[in-house]
Amino acid sequence: MEEARKGVLGHLKMLEMEANNLELKQQELRRRGRQEELNANLQALLSKRDQLKAEIKANTSLQKMRTLLDRTGVPYERNEDVDNLEDGSDNSQLLLMMARHTQLKDLLHAHHLIGGYDVLQTRKGKGVCVSLATAYEGVYLETYNLEIDLGSNLRICRHNIPPFIPLERLVTQGNMQTDIRDFLDTLSQYLNAYAGRKQQLHLTKEIHSSVQVAESNALCTILVLMFTIPGEKAEAALCTLQYANHTQRLPTRVNIESEDTALVSSPQWKKNQALLLETPLHTALVTMKKTGSIA
Amino acid sequence: MDDSTKRILQRLMRRIPSQMLQTMLGKWAHLSREDLHSLDFTQPKWVLTEHLLALCEENGLRVKHITELEMIYIIENPNQGMWHGFQLLDAEEDAPSIELTQFKKQFKANLTELISNVSIKIKKHTDEAIWIRVAWGDNFTKPNHLKPTYVVHHLQTPYVFVTGLTSKYKPLLNQALVLATRYGSMKDAHLSGRNLTAIRDLLMRQYQQVFPTKNPKPLQEKNPVPRNPNIEKEHAENTENRLQIACEAFGDGTLPQLQKAVYKLETKFRDNSNKTLTGREEPFRGVVEFASTNLLESLRHCVSSGMASTPVTPLLSSITQKGRNYFVITDKGV
Repeated sequence: MEEARKGVLGHLKMLEMEANNLELKQQELRRRGRQEELNANLQALLSKRDQLKAEIKANTSLQKMRTLLDRTGVPYERNEDVDNLEDGSDNSQLLLMMARHTQLKDLLHAHHLIGGYDVLQTRKGKGVCVSLATAYEGVYLETYNLEIDLGSNLRICRHNIPPFIPLERLVTQGNMQTDIRDFLDTLSQYLNAYAGRKQQLHLTKEIHSSVQVAESNALCTILVLMFTIPGEKAEAALCTLQYANHTQRLPTRVNIESEDTALVSSPQWKKNQALLLETPLHTALVTMKKTGSIA
Repeated sequence: MDDSTKRILQRLMRRIPSQMLQTMLGKWAHLSREDLHSLDFTQPKWVLTEHLLALCEENGLRVKHITELEMIYIIENPNQGMWHGFQLLDAEEDAPSIELTQFKKQFKANLTELISNVSIKIKKHTDEAIWIRVAWGDNFTKPNHLKPTYVVHHLQTPYVFVTGLTSKYKPLLNQALVLATRYGSMKDAHLSGRNLTAIRDLLMRQYQQVFPTKNPKPLQEKNPVPRNPNIEKEHAENTENRLQIACEAFGDGTLPQLQKAVYKLETKFRDNSNKTLTGREEPFRGVVEFASTNLLESLRHCVSSGMASTPVTPLLSSITQKGRNYFVITDKGV
């Protein structure tokens, strides 16, 4: 009986020892695995730190180059700051280009903020998209876009400029290939003037419902209005405004006709004519209503 | 009122659908209010036509009044018949400053000089479009009012839209238009369709175009198909890209309704497995036609859902970019 019990207990003891050994081995394995993991982490973090350090270095040299550019506008070839950079001349040229690039981007952003046009790169550098914003009296109106293909010749591939703006004429006259700024400035002028005239007409229709629009055209260069002159006879006067200069928001000619010819040649109406030539339409009409010239 | 005038009125009454009849006659303004009230619009159309004929006889209305009614009807419902787009080229110096009365006078003078017996009616619609109705006759016959030509032109734009023009009178109309608008010549814009508003919007770019912007807000699909949200999350960026590319190629929102795009091939046959056709010198002529109730919408959906691969092939995007739907493809290009 004793031997049988010894046998069983011995067996159990042996099993317990084996279990302990197994557990030690597993712990060892786990620790090693954890160690490798930590090592790998360490390596990754070290390489990341080196990368960030290199980036910081590049950025500081870029900043230095940029401040030089901003201050003088002329790239420095020989300067202690530049010589201090250990890189060769190729790298400093590259840095110069990068500095110029960031300067240009900031300039464009500022231009865009004050309501001018903005240029975006598209199709991985093979094209640009110019967006021209129009505004009148502090209110932003439509934005027009031009997509230009950058090949050996600049070519407009897509745009949403209305067809009555003479785009082809501006392209050839403004020499888009050689002087794109001139072309964009002229185009912006045309578009802003058109937006201004359209907005004036819109405001006139909204605010002055007693004034009837007898004729207008899509480009807003010809406008014929009908006024009612207050009085017992309630006569009508026909006013023709012609905007011959498409880059201006004010008319170039104002003609007033009425059956009562004596009235329209009176000094009051001569003043009104001059007023219409000098102030925007909707404000001129407000003044004319105040002085009692029109109903 | 003679027989031909009666026939014109009868034809016109058959053409105008019954529900629009009352509004059209109201706009026509040639019948007095009592006369208009006396017409019973619940009667069948042929009875109404007889009644209307009698009223017109009473008021002494003539052909020119009836053609006015036709013009009003067509202006209100322009999306019927086949419209063709034309483009004016070589603007002269004073082309941008043409004004309405000048154009009207010039056009009428030019056309009557070219062909003596024409009936011309010009009307300016509220959206700055000029509508011209021309009924053609020749030296011996009176103008044929049963087959008029309608022309739509927006001043200061180089586009003209025409319907109902036969090839016999095409050069005459061309010449009159070219002289009146002070351009050098007129060519076919290769864009045609049943829907005037669609081809006008396409050529004059009045639909909503999409351009690359600095802060692209994600374009929303207007009618999203119900999808599994997990799959959607995985594909979010790709879907947005595809939608942006599709909208850049075709436009956003409601697109002009084109019905057909035709590609005429004149290229050499290139498949090497077909021995009889390869190696021939002449080009293999074929015509590929895409037809749909709203072609641009379906093409845009193909691209945004991934059925067509991006970037959009220039053959398809030229439909919107160049504003054409008839292309001839040769070995050198489109």
